Amino acid sequence: MRTGKFLRIAAVVVVMSCAATLASAQLNSGAQTITLNANLTESLTVSLSANAVNFTLAAGTAANPGSTNVTATTTWVLKPGRTAVGVYAYFGSAAAALTDGVGDNIPSSAFFIANNGGASTALTNTVAFGGANGGLQLANVAITGANKNASRTDVMAFNINLTTLPQLPANTYTGTLNIQAQATP
Amino acid sequence: MIETGEGGEHPALELFCIEQATSKGTMTIRQKIGRGAAALAMLIALLATPAGAQVLNSGASTITLNAVLSQAITLTLSANAVNFNLTSGSGSNPGSTAITATTAWTLRPNVGSLKVYAFFSNAASALTDGAGNNIPSADFQISNNGGAFAALTNTVPFGGANAGLLLSTTPILGNNKTGTHNDVMNFNINLVPLPALPAGTYTGTLTIQAQAI
Repeated sequence: MRTGKFLRIAAVVVVMSCAATLASAQLNSGAQTITLNANLTESLTVSLSANAVNFTLAAGTAANPGSTNVTATTTWVLKPGRTAVGVYAYFGSAAAALTDGVGDNIPSSAFFIANNGGASTALTNTVAFGGANGGLQLANVAITGANKNASRTDVMAFNINLTTLPQLPANTYTGTLNIQAQATP
Repeated sequence: MIETGEGGEHPALELFCIEQATSKGTMTIRQKIGRGAAALAMLIALLATPAGAQVLNSGASTITLNAVLSQAITLTLSANAVNFNLTSGSGSNPGSTAITATTAWTLRPNVGSLKVYAFFSNAASALTDGAGNNIPSADFQISNNGGAFAALTNTVPFGGANAGLLLSTTPILGNNKTGTHNDVMNFNINLVPLPALPAGTYTGTLTIQAQAI
């Protein structure tokens, strides 16, 4: 009788001991990694508020303003290495910014842009794009930690100065002004 | 074969080893793996370097410019009235003042010449007293820029038949598509052909006009 009772108690103790052991043991799988690769591509775009400007010229006069201002909006997303964004206006040829197609030209030196209300300046510089002496840098934005993703606007007012072209014949003169941005380095 | 450790050969060294092995006409799997690793390293280097060194350009946005310099001819006169004190039957009845006609123009390249004309609307009655007595244009004379006096007896682009005079012709060349010209006119009324002209006040309108053609 006492032996049987002892055996039952012993059996219970053994079972409980095994259960406790099983409950406290942990089994982990191996760590499976997922490599994440997210690429934010660099971008630099220029959009214009209008793509045509007309001029009604008066022979020999300095003030022949364009029919409308044009706003260039430059937007960029740049990598950390970039230090500056330049915005440029330029012609393909300084000698013939506008032409009547029969040999009479208005050079870029007679074409002026007043940017954001500043002084009216002729396109006489050699810039990153376009023909030699046919450009003008509109803006230079220093890129810092705070503006690697940003935008700016350049409001351009145009004028053609004909005082240096007293013999320009009557005609229709056409040309293409380019606006382009560059991030460096 | 140059060993760099248990992990394998250094890529650059592996290239050297491959050249050596290839030259001997054999290439082990290890060499092939090494060559691949070297190529991958070079590709990574090529991809990594330009991103930091090259400028980034936007596309070029264009603005079409259209400038119109219109043709224009303007003619202005230094005065708009001339008086004559007439002497019956006299050939010399000069005007009270000379008048300068200034013609200014801006012309297209295909224009050949610019001409200035003086004319009346009616040759028979250049001046009239309003009562049927007239001085014809044939008796009205202009001396232009010091030249000889000439009567207005030609048919010109403006005015009446046989009532005009070409004052000047300016050829338009490459250097004067925009320009000006002066015609200094002295006037005279010749009454020799009109011996019976009655006394009276005779009035008329002389018109000066230019044409580019």
